[in-house]
Amino acid sequence: MKQAATLPGRVLWNAFFWTYERATWQYDVMVIAILAFVWLTPPDWLNDPMATGGGPVCWVVSMVKGE
Amino acid sequence: MTLTGLIGRIFMFPLRLIIRACVAMQIHPNILTFVGVIINVAAAWALALGRFATAGVIMVVANIFDFIDGKVALELHEVSEFGGFWDSVIDRFSDIALFIGLIYLYSERGRTDYVMVTALAMMFAIMTSYTRARAESIIKKCKVGFMERPERIVLFMVGAFTNRMAAVMWVILVLSIFTVADRIILTYRELHAGRGEAVA
Repeated sequence: MKQAATLPGRVLWNAFFWTYERATWQYDVMVIAILAFVWLTPPDWLNDPMATGGGPVCWVVSMVKGE
Repeated sequence: MTLTGLIGRIFMFPLRLIIRACVAMQIHPNILTFVGVIINVAAAWALALGRFATAGVIMVVANIFDFIDGKVALELHEVSEFGGFWDSVIDRFSDIALFIGLIYLYSERGRTDYVMVTALAMMFAIMTSYTRARAESIIKKCKVGFMERPERIVLFMVGAFTNRMAAVMWVILVLSIFTVADRIILTYRELHAGRGEAVA
């Protein structure tokens, strides 16, 4: 299979076709991205059956708005 | 040193003490593996009841057993082909138990959407193991894809302790699909490059 030539394409392909070992910087980046998604996505957006509310993102937005 | 490498080192310290204790007590690694699955069933029960924090604590205990069995086998010189097979089979039971606990919880709450997300995540989690096992009977190595068992277990714990199980199910589902696809692609490439291994 031919790999995407451009840098963003290569990054996306390498994230999809994962060949990195644990405890590499690429692994760290992936872990941080996953944890950011899990913790920052408002449960309401995902229609979470157990958690409610807007989560940290909405909390920060309301703080900024001064609500 | 990387962040995950550092975290791994920190957690290895208490684990080494537990491994040493198990070695001193001459506990057979296959028994440790079996105890792990029993405790994981208890975690699944807690998940089914919606007691995520309790489930998280039980998962930590269960996975200590899961993690140390191989190391104890090494220290006790009890490494065997059956031990490896037993460990893999029992791991699948543990995985499935946790998913079933969540499926029960979401179905109790009438949430068909998350019953489906969790069921699909379970299917691809099992396929992740199956594709590698099957691939490695025809090619040398098939260790590609991000979402393997340790990642799944840690994500389950993160979801349980922080009550973000829905997001965790999405992550497990999507990354397990990628992992299965990676393994199929790699196997196809290896076989077409003539790097297949004849298996008796």
